Amino acid sequence: MVAIVDCNSFYCSCERLFQPKLHKHPVVVLSNNDGCIISRSDEARQLGIPMAGPYYMAKEVIEKHDVAVFSSNYNLYGDISRRVMETLKQIVGETNVEVYSIDESFLHLDGYSPHQLTKTARQIKETVEHWTGIPVSVGIAPTKVLSKVANRLAKKDPKKYKGVFVLDNLQTIDEALAQTSVKEIWGIGRRYAEKLESQFNLQTALALKNMNEAWAGKNLGGVVGVRLWRELNGEPCIELKDPLIKKKMIACTRMFGRPVTNIIEIREAVASYASRAAEKLRRQSGAAKVMEVFLVKNDHTDVYTYNPSTDALKFVLPEATSATHQLINYALPLANKLFNAGSRYLKAGIILSQLVPDKEIQGNLFTQKNKPSVKLMEVMDNINWGIHKDAVRFGAAGLKQPWQMKQEHRSFRYTTQWDELKLVE
Amino acid sequence: METQSWSSDFRGNKGFTQWDVHSANATGFGAAADDYMDKGIDLNEQLIQNKAATFFMRMNSEAMIGAGIHAGDILVIDRSLQAFSGKVVVACLNGEMMVRRLEKNFNKIRLVPDTDKLAAIDVDLNGCEFFIWGVVTWVIHRVG
Repeated sequence: MVAIVDCNSFYCSCERLFQPKLHKHPVVVLSNNDGCIISRSDEARQLGIPMAGPYYMAKEVIEKHDVAVFSSNYNLYGDISRRVMETLKQIVGETNVEVYSIDESFLHLDGYSPHQLTKTARQIKETVEHWTGIPVSVGIAPTKVLSKVANRLAKKDPKKYKGVFVLDNLQTIDEALAQTSVKEIWGIGRRYAEKLESQFNLQTALALKNMNEAWAGKNLGGVVGVRLWRELNGEPCIELKDPLIKKKMIACTRMFGRPVTNIIEIREAVASYASRAAEKLRRQSGAAKVMEVFLVKNDHTDVYTYNPSTDALKFVLPEATSATHQLINYALPLANKLFNAGSRYLKAGIILSQLVPDKEIQGNLFTQKNKPSVKLMEVMDNINWGIHKDAVRFGAAGLKQPWQMKQEHRSFRYTTQWDELKLVE
Repeated sequence: METQSWSSDFRGNKGFTQWDVHSANATGFGAAADDYMDKGIDLNEQLIQNKAATFFMRMNSEAMIGAGIHAGDILVIDRSLQAFSGKVVVACLNGEMMVRRLEKNFNKIRLVPDTDKLAAIDVDLNGCEFFIWGVVTWVIHRVG
């Protein structure tokens, strides 16, 4: 059996952990640059504050109901996430945990008695909450897709399920699927859901499950669709992957705190994002072969204007690398070319792709070996991870960085900085 | 210290391996020292039993001065421990976080400071919101 453990309103729960007076009080967390609402507590949801909606549009409701507002504090969320995952690993064993995202994990529960799964689920839930203070929901089922269905129902009706739901026989599975619409199935996007509803008149997950395999192969997108259909039918097809999934693409894109109109600041931002992307790349021992830089502007209207043919440039590096200074060197000329004097820029980004393991970099006849850079990056990363972020950085990224995004409501980094510890009386 | 049903095997060593133990670099008679090199003392091993559940906070009052906890001290808090009567805990009462000694008997709960300047609080479980945040296991106090 497979379990999915999902943290409830994760970012809000992290904030509440250190501000217990917000227990049962509506809380929202904003995206980078305080633009959108990316996490809301149940209480905030009940006030009708939409998920992923712009902050300014919800401001009236937020002020009226005294909703607690936080800028995203990824240092805190990352640390608490690590604690939740560590707790799960100690419960079910390190190799049985597949971290799926910052706030959810799949667990492989083959060693557990099938008759006591509800008890096991409850134990997992209680232990995580006791150790880390983060409330979670647990769904258990024969497959990943079904465990997601169970989890969604457990969350939807907390009174009935108390955060835990086990689908362990055909009847309960079918009943659960009948209460799940096709668009709520894990892996089915909005477009597919619309197609299934309009073209095939399939409304529920149960109806989809009851189609046959050949139909799924034809109409659900080939092999992927067949897998999904099989999972709905209780046959595990989506493997538990290695815990550390290596990404195929690494991006760093951020909004500016205010519109940027001069090239100096654009160059600083691009260099800074290149540094961050390079750091992520080295964390997974990779090197990139292709780099893309883009700028998003807003010249006349309220909408972003972004035209991939004029606002983005791709560059194939002579040799795959993960060294910050090399990536900055390639990125800055691209930024220069993209920049258009007189435009107001809102956002910049850098995307690294065609990633290869750094041990397997194909030597190029005309380039020198990268040895000194590797050593330099190692020293830099050790200092930055060991002391604090950006203790050492390249001058190209700027010092004051006046273009940096807004984070007006960020809470303390309670678990990662000595001088920001929670004070208690 | 007591642990919950899932005991931690974390030794607080931050991933120490055999290669991190330095060789004694000694010759002659001193070479024998090579056989006795160990990895030295790591404070984490002593202070952190369960890394996932251990948090640090800073004491901001003299409420527990009699227990040797001064304002400015760092508290090591383990959330995974059971809060038995007599333990120093971080408690949350009506949204306020406080460090006190927990006294439990039958259905009565008291939060007792360790100073004559503050009174003990009787917790009325029906009339307020109350929970234990974690158990204080160590205090780090700067001397001088």
